[in-house]
Amino acid sequence: MSFLNDWIAWLPQLGPGVAISLQLTGMALFFGFPFGLLLAAMAESRLATLRWISFLIVEVGRGLPALVLLYLLYFSLPDMGVILTSMTTAVIALSWNAGAYASEYFRAGLSAVPRGQKEAALTSGFSRWTGFRLVILPQALRISTPPLAGLAVLVFQGSALAFVIAVPELMSKAYEISSMTFRYLSVFSLTAIVYGLITWLFLALVKLLEVRLSRHLV
Amino acid sequence: MALNLGTRTSPIPISGGVHVSHLGKSYGSNKVLSDVNLKMQEGEVVSIIGPSGAGKSTFLRCLNYLEVPTEGTITIGGARVCADDSRPDKASLDHLRKVTGMVFQSFNLFPHLTVMENITLPQRKVLRASKDRAEEVAQSLLKRVGLPEKAKEYPARLSGGQQQRIAIARALALSPSVMLFDEPTSALDPEIGLEVLAVMRDLADEGMTMLVVTHEMHFARDVSDRIMVMGNGGVLETGPSEQVMSDPSHERTRQFLKAVLDR
Repeated sequence: MSFLNDWIAWLPQLGPGVAISLQLTGMALFFGFPFGLLLAAMAESRLATLRWISFLIVEVGRGLPALVLLYLLYFSLPDMGVILTSMTTAVIALSWNAGAYASEYFRAGLSAVPRGQKEAALTSGFSRWTGFRLVILPQALRISTPPLAGLAVLVFQGSALAFVIAVPELMSKAYEISSMTFRYLSVFSLTAIVYGLITWLFLALVKLLEVRLSRHLV
Repeated sequence: MALNLGTRTSPIPISGGVHVSHLGKSYGSNKVLSDVNLKMQEGEVVSIIGPSGAGKSTFLRCLNYLEVPTEGTITIGGARVCADDSRPDKASLDHLRKVTGMVFQSFNLFPHLTVMENITLPQRKVLRASKDRAEEVAQSLLKRVGLPEKAKEYPARLSGGQQQRIAIARALALSPSVMLFDEPTSALDPEIGLEVLAVMRDLADEGMTMLVVTHEMHFARDVSDRIMVMGNGGVLETGPSEQVMSDPSHERTRQFLKAVLDR
């Protein structure tokens, strides 16, 4: 069982990588999901300009592979005089990507709430905003939660791409170890287990949240 | 609960009544509602009957601006909105929706909130009532609609008739000056509908001003003071319930009543 000894020896090196991966994912979701909700709201706006802006951002974010987006931002921003760390660049690229997909899930959730709910909110005296916040949004979020959780997992796994622009996340740490030890299969097996465990743990938490959000449906 | 808003036969014209004049609505050149006039005293109950597509629901929904009328004036409980104006200002609209309570055919309770929260949330957000006060009001309303034990349930656990009674309680919680009912029993089987009609009957007896779009002819005749018959986007006739039911003046009304009552 010599590989176990190796794994135990490597874990302290992978640890900081896991922290960076989680941090990157967390920030991409923290900015990406609200951004997606904003894009969804803009897509339903009465103003054509807002609808068009939303359409463009969403189509670019969904149309380009995250890796291409990452490279484009990483190499174009400095030319435009914007100097950002690779971590910040990765956060922007992944937030954009996540926000573009999330906006579609939010839109699906919002349009699945029956029209009568909006009318009941208005006739209950709520302003449009209060009605949206307290009546429409909670129902839409319940509908959007499962696909958004799936998206969160994809964003976490996509965070491995940030390796190409030198963000010191889990994947880059694994690469570092393997290029020193030449034990590629062993290192990446361990890496796979770490990614898998975190994903599985996260999905288990989401399951709990879903139950909580659906308790009114009995 | 100050729901007793005066006796039904009050001779004094009170600000709480409803006054609709020359109300009309068109989509481009398509006129769906034209020249609807209605004057209701506080405490009066008026049923609106008529064939499908007559504009009954559209008229009712214009009164709280769920549909935007294109001409005419609406005065309810001190709120006055002119459709001739470009767009009513937010304050008048808010006021209009506060003084009108609405009950829908499909109940439209908020499914993610408990029965108690359904009734307290509007009070808390619109009237700025305290939690205790709102719950006190809600509890007494639940008692009035006969469901005091359902406070903690979610709507999905209730029958259609129970949901509709809760919806009535929710609408009453803002102490509206008029209650609008849009076919409140049409989604319910006839037997379950009776429990909703009983609550509405009590409400009428207590002096609530009510405007009811309905296909329940017994309710229209027995409970309402007057019946307004609509057809083809306009008013065919309005008169005391007994008279409209037994001796309608319009041929179309006769035809409609015959079709409904001969079933």
